[in-house]
Amino acid sequence: MATVRVEPSGIEFDVGPKESVAEAAWRQDIAWPTKCYGQAECMICFVKVVDGELSTVPPDDDELFEMRTKMPRRLRTPLTRLACRLRVKGEGVVLEKKGVQ
Amino acid sequence: MTVADLNPKFTWAEGEDAPLGTNPPEVQASVPHPMRDSRFVPKERYYSREQFELEKKHLWPHTWQMAAREEELPNPGDYVEYEIVGNSILIVRQQDGSVKALHNACRHRATELAKGAGRLPGGQLVCPFHGWRWNLDGSSSFVFGEKAFEPACLNKDDLALRECLVETWSGMIWINMDLGARPLREHLSPVQDLLDGVGVGNMRVKWWKQVVLNANWKMAQEAFFEGYHVTQTHPQLLMGNDVAYGEKKAEQVAYTTFKNGHARFQSASKGESEYEPVFDSEEFIEAGRLLATGQDAMTLEQDVRIFEGLRNKIAQDDPKFTQHAIAALYEYAQGAGIPMAPMGPNIQLWGGDIYMFPNYLMLPMYGNCLAYRSRPYKDDPEWCIFDVWSLTTYPEGQEPERAELKGIFDKDDTENWGLIPRQDFSNIERQQRGLHSPGFTELRLSSQYELSISNMHEELDRSISSRQSIAERRES
Repeated sequence: MATVRVEPSGIEFDVGPKESVAEAAWRQDIAWPTKCYGQAECMICFVKVVDGELSTVPPDDDELFEMRTKMPRRLRTPLTRLACRLRVKGEGVVLEKKGVQ
Repeated sequence: MTVADLNPKFTWAEGEDAPLGTNPPEVQASVPHPMRDSRFVPKERYYSREQFELEKKHLWPHTWQMAAREEELPNPGDYVEYEIVGNSILIVRQQDGSVKALHNACRHRATELAKGAGRLPGGQLVCPFHGWRWNLDGSSSFVFGEKAFEPACLNKDDLALRECLVETWSGMIWINMDLGARPLREHLSPVQDLLDGVGVGNMRVKWWKQVVLNANWKMAQEAFFEGYHVTQTHPQLLMGNDVAYGEKKAEQVAYTTFKNGHARFQSASKGESEYEPVFDSEEFIEAGRLLATGQDAMTLEQDVRIFEGLRNKIAQDDPKFTQHAIAALYEYAQGAGIPMAPMGPNIQLWGGDIYMFPNYLMLPMYGNCLAYRSRPYKDDPEWCIFDVWSLTTYPEGQEPERAELKGIFDKDDTENWGLIPRQDFSNIERQQRGLHSPGFTELRLSSQYELSISNMHEELDRSISSRQSIAERRES
């Protein structure tokens, strides 16, 4: 279990070892934008890792493929992730995502 | 003349579990290629389009079916898709641990909502076409741009996904598309209790594979209705013995047909010394090894090692070797925390077979079980998809987390199918081809070994006939 912080709202919540950040948020009744609810389809849950990158689990081929095919290039940076796939393995992760509350 | 007159050794259940036997003329008249005599099966039943369409209309939408194993869905939001004759049904684990079976079609424009197996981490089923959503229980949770629809299109009850009946029993999830169907327990009677007696509820999936066969779904499953084929189809299991020995082995099996189309075969040799072969413990161990290496089911490698551990403890010609071997299994299980069913007369079913109408079989052995399921494939009467599960009992708390299909493998794939199933699959396809031979009109069955086949066909005719008369009554 690790705590993540989401800017700009500053909300903090726990993420379990077997769940994604978005899933943890939904589980704790925190709104995290999505349309596909965890199927890596809609790209709406995308998030920027602003700190603690080493405490995140790197993206797998599936996540990278979905982002390459469905996400506009201007949003795709090395630190852009899908929250429905992003897993956390340690403390200190800070994310940037509007609409999380 | 009845079957009993022909062969008094054949047994069927009596009293309230008794099979109904040959159907009355009105039932026979209502199907295109009816069972008229329990000893003969008209060949058209395995390839006629008319027969196949009747099964699609009157059997599959109204019968209980083993749709999934519980351990395919360990967590809330897990789902698996079950497909039968073009119907896709999503089996979904609910937040409270229960299971729902939902017809897999968007209430908007019919898109299938999910495929295969997976998770719904947000607790939402989302249509990939326009983004309409449902909660895990099938209730509508979101309609994209709903202002553009007239209220008549958005009635909440109409938007809910259509449900099937679901019941769980001993690790298996059963569904019935007919909301007015009788309870599962009634449908499975009396074989449910027989399987509970050997502890199938404690078993979990060791592996699960599928094969696509060029044969009717009934033809495929019937290969496993009897042990009479064993010495010819699987010569290795004869272990170098002669024909007379093989015949003796075949005679050591007792066959029983039940009501509801179900059947059983199991060891008949208990207490009947006339059938007991000369005992050799090495033969017992070798037979176990042939099952473990030949199909990785029923007898597993671990069981064989336990038997081998008796090699220098028990004399090779000790007629009680089997009892010692079973005691050793139980001793190991107790030490390892493996919850075996209590020892007792139930274990006579070990090495036997329970067939559950219409398309599911379980073959328990020790703390293990082999299971088969046969379904039509690609809307073709001459093709089927055949599931094979190897189940075993794990030490408590050490059960594998999630059961997944290992894959669909070619019937000749030596990497993925042991010698025993490859031998069976090969005969099944040859039977289907043989049916079309011009001089061949019907299968002829042994009244001692093969009446579970006709019992199934007779139940099938009854199922079709009874639904047909309901449909006719509705129309008139």
